[in-house]
Amino acid sequence: MTEVTITGMNSITYPHLEVWNWLVAMYLFLGGLSAGILIMSAIANLRKWPDSASGPHCEKGVMFAPFILAFGMLFIFLDLERKTNIFWFYLTLQPFSPMSWGAWGIMIIIPVSFLYALSTAPPESRHNLRFGVLIKLSDMMWPHMKRLAMISFGLGIFLGIYTGVLLSNMLARPLWNSPILPVLFLTSASSTGAAFLIIVARRAAVKLFYTKLDIWLIFAEIVIIVLFFYGQYNSSVSSKASIMPFFTLSHEFFFYFFAVFLMAVLLPLALVMKLIEMREDHADVLSEATIFRMNLSAVMVLTGGLIIRLALIYAGQLVKFM
Amino acid sequence: MSKYVMVIDQRRCIGCMACIVACKAENDVPEEHFRTRVIQEVEGEFPKLRMELRSELCNHCDNPPCVYNCPTGASYKDKENGMVLLKKNRCVGCKACIASCPYDARYIDPRHGYADKCTFCSHRVAKGKEPACVQTCIGRSRIFGDIEDPESEVSLLLREHHHEVLKPAAGTEPNVYYINRILKG
Ligand code: SF4
Ligand code: SF4
Repeated sequence: MTEVTITGMNSITYPHLEVWNWLVAMYLFLGGLSAGILIMSAIANLRKWPDSASGPHCEKGVMFAPFILAFGMLFIFLDLERKTNIFWFYLTLQPFSPMSWGAWGIMIIIPVSFLYALSTAPPESRHNLRFGVLIKLSDMMWPHMKRLAMISFGLGIFLGIYTGVLLSNMLARPLWNSPILPVLFLTSASSTGAAFLIIVARRAAVKLFYTKLDIWLIFAEIVIIVLFFYGQYNSSVSSKASIMPFFTLSHEFFFYFFAVFLMAVLLPLALVMKLIEMREDHADVLSEATIFRMNLSAVMVLTGGLIIRLALIYAGQLVKFM
Repeated sequence: MSKYVMVIDQRRCIGCMACIVACKAENDVPEEHFRTRVIQEVEGEFPKLRMELRSELCNHCDNPPCVYNCPTGASYKDKENGMVLLKKNRCVGCKACIASCPYDARYIDPRHGYADKCTFCSHRVAKGKEPACVQTCIGRSRIFGDIEDPESEVSLLLREHHHEVLKPAAGTEPNVYYINRILKG
């Protein structure tokens, strides 16, 4: 029997830590999504396409990346308790703080990805950019698209990993403190990026290309999630305790159990739907039903990505290092 | 150079909670928040019971994750005296330090938004006084001093007694030592 009485417990840490909430989860999700868009669009733009119509500059969906990232930053900004001090992020570089690296990284990624997005605008539709300066910039960037794609690929990997490192660096929270978490976040980020580009892509070949990629990514994601839980289960007492909310069917932890249940339904279902798409013989123009199925499975992947982050953020604060 | 530490002699604590009150009064700690707490843990089956009274506070760790995770340099380790302190004007209230502290020693001051925690009463120590909790401790369970000085009370106590720190496996190298702690594990 153990009876514990605590006098003087901080309300923020009792009964469990309550510092980060859905705002941070949204930031991690949107950061990951923009990372995935950068990585996936770079792959599409750098690869050799068999038909010239889908050649380089085939992927314009990247124009969403800087805006999604900036929107994600808004959430982390809202989470700051002293917003007027935000400039301190940029008056120092703290080498051991992932958040500091992230703050600087995002400052580089937003303009670079914006230039990359401009470089993908084809001459015939450049007038859509409205502002003269954007059109001029796009003219200038067009020849450098491949180089910008390569840089964006690297930055996307950095951003995708960083969103996981931010949490995995916290030894004090055993659910987060796993080296596999950044890998899971990067894979999930790439998968959500591919899913998003499937939705916005116009051409059948591009949609199918991302569908093919996403099959591997979802498959990897499922394996990594299983390994993550397995690793935690076989690790220290704290690590094992930290995953228990996901497998405890009590009303207190119902949402964590539900999150695992949803993941177990959404990801395999999205995978199966994509496999069916790949089996069918698609023409240049996709039928409406095909497009609907592709978009539906993409929405499932996006939902799964959001659920992973929400569940990990909240559950990670239930159990501390023992 | 000095390195301040706190020794908690658990044989002498009577659980009066005066340290908590003294700390709150001295440091204007906001409602619902505390820089130090006292834990009363009873273990065993009746009649074979053992009770531990354990004061907890920021450990002013030598390897402080709260400092490493701070993105603005607001949390820092004072090289002169080993204390982990805060430059409040730099804090953005991102809460990374709170999430990274294995001892849940920090809180956000809801009135100002910055992170805060025990400072070993650095403002009093600078004037040659003891921290408020130490001065008020009726049983002299809390002892504060410079571990670099071999003749200081803390050095003598730690030399003569078996002592422990909390969660040593976390690798934070705490500077709050416990004498007579219930051995766990
Ligand atoms: S106890 Fe927590 S807040 Fe204090 S120095 Fe150690 S890690 Fe930082
Ligand atoms: S809350 Fe303040 S002290 Fe804590 S990590 Fe963020 S900026 Fe640093």
